[in-house]
Amino acid sequence: MGLSLLGTRTFHRVREKTHRRFIPPAWAVSLLVIFASWESFSVLRLVSPERLPPFHEVLFTLAQLGATPLFLARVGQSFLNVVIGISLAMVVVMPLALLVGSRNQLDQALTPIIMLVGALPDLAILSLLVTVVGRGNVVAIAICTFSAFFPIYFTIRQGVKEIPTDYFHVSSIFKANGAQTFTKVVLPSIFPNMVTGLRLSFEFSWNVLMAVEIIASVAGVGTFISSSLEGPGRSLAYGLAAIMTVGLLTIAADRLFFERLESRIRKWRA
Amino acid sequence: MHVDLSNVSKVYPDPPEVVTALSNISFQVNEGEFLCIVGPSGCGKSTLLRMIAGLDQPTSGEIRFKGDLVTAPHEKISMVFQSFALLPWRTVLGNVEFGLEVQGCPKDERVSTSLDLLEMVGLKGSENLFPRQLSGGMKQRVGIARALAIDPEVVLMDEAFSAIDEFTAEALRAEVAEIHAQTQKTFLLVTHNLPEAIELADRILVLSARPGKVKSIVPVEIKKPRKPTTDDFVSIHRDIFALLQSELENTIMRRRLSELKELQGLRDIEAR
Repeated sequence: MGLSLLGTRTFHRVREKTHRRFIPPAWAVSLLVIFASWESFSVLRLVSPERLPPFHEVLFTLAQLGATPLFLARVGQSFLNVVIGISLAMVVVMPLALLVGSRNQLDQALTPIIMLVGALPDLAILSLLVTVVGRGNVVAIAICTFSAFFPIYFTIRQGVKEIPTDYFHVSSIFKANGAQTFTKVVLPSIFPNMVTGLRLSFEFSWNVLMAVEIIASVAGVGTFISSSLEGPGRSLAYGLAAIMTVGLLTIAADRLFFERLESRIRKWRA
Repeated sequence: MHVDLSNVSKVYPDPPEVVTALSNISFQVNEGEFLCIVGPSGCGKSTLLRMIAGLDQPTSGEIRFKGDLVTAPHEKISMVFQSFALLPWRTVLGNVEFGLEVQGCPKDERVSTSLDLLEMVGLKGSENLFPRQLSGGMKQRVGIARALAIDPEVVLMDEAFSAIDEFTAEALRAEVAEIHAQTQKTFLLVTHNLPEAIELADRILVLSARPGKVKSIVPVEIKKPRKPTTDDFVSIHRDIFALLQSELENTIMRRRLSELKELQGLRDIEAR
């Protein structure tokens, strides 16, 4: 037993050493290849710049946009709408999913209906919302909540169902009260599912939000993209740069927030 | 009497059939005793242990601990699980601390108690590992330390060695015997491993097949440490095995009988 312990330790040490040598991540290499071929397409005039502006131009526009307060405000507004939408969904869904996950009868009564509602197309719901709620941030937040609802609901419900009964036995044997059982057994058990649910709903919400902004003309990145791609003064570079901003934002949220949560889970999960 | 069961029955009234898992179980466990419960699979021995733990209620009859009726888990009754049931997001130390933590014991006190126990079960230095980094045997050592951390008077073990490879289980059994001798706590072990029961028990409770009834209570008066090759060991093993085998034969006969009846029924239908 002492031997195997020693084994794991040396293993960790070896891994630490290999980490110190810098190896560019594989995704960076592929990204570099993609951008380089994009640039060469435009430079070699294989595609006209009106159809595909050269990469360096888009990059330049991106930098320009990064220094434009109005654009940043738009991005911030969209981001805020997504975050508020997901938070609202979380507040509503969490108790519901916990209840449904722990009571089979309630699950059988509610889940089919929730699946039915979830199958309705987001954009159809949007037109309905616009007539009922009107335009503006409220409708943007509402649609984000709607699209975040289902991934959060199903992942948490599944998480609750998968908690081994013995964990609850442990909790009652040591006389933990209801609140302690919730914070020390239920929450940590469903935490990985919660992260997955949040991650999915973040993606879903962004997708649908872009459409909402364009259709319901709610000020945000979406409207910026559509206005820069339409009309007489249209600029492909601006549109592409704005789209890339959304991508960068999603990646940043993924790396800085979700990846950190997941690495915490990976520490204890096999 | 430390733990006292009188006329305990457990009936599952789930349709389509009413299943009587345990019927009229009565026995007493003395303070500091090591009692093993053996029986054919499905005789309700784990149910019995869960009821003593207060995790399940008997349909009729009474379970008392030091005279008090057991209706919910008692703070002086602890349990070791077959599945280990360690919380995977907690470190070894965090798992051992769990009981003391929920009971509001101050941090430094519960850490020092837990570290002492980890040393006792031979896991000194592993306190910051996560359960996934441990072997089955090590996991159960943590389970035992966790059960002992709340300083229980009764330790219930539900097939505690069944999910561990035999060599490790053998070492762990010896350690549990040692812990029992040192602490003089009452131990109740449910097992289907007869040699294991004979190795550890002061008395062995033999249950019959479903519905579980007390078939016999066999005292084991062999000096410890017990070797499975000695004559005493072999003779007790033979006696209890005979008891269990007659039970097994009964079950088989009963099943054959019901099959025969079914066959007869089919023939009757055919004849018509």
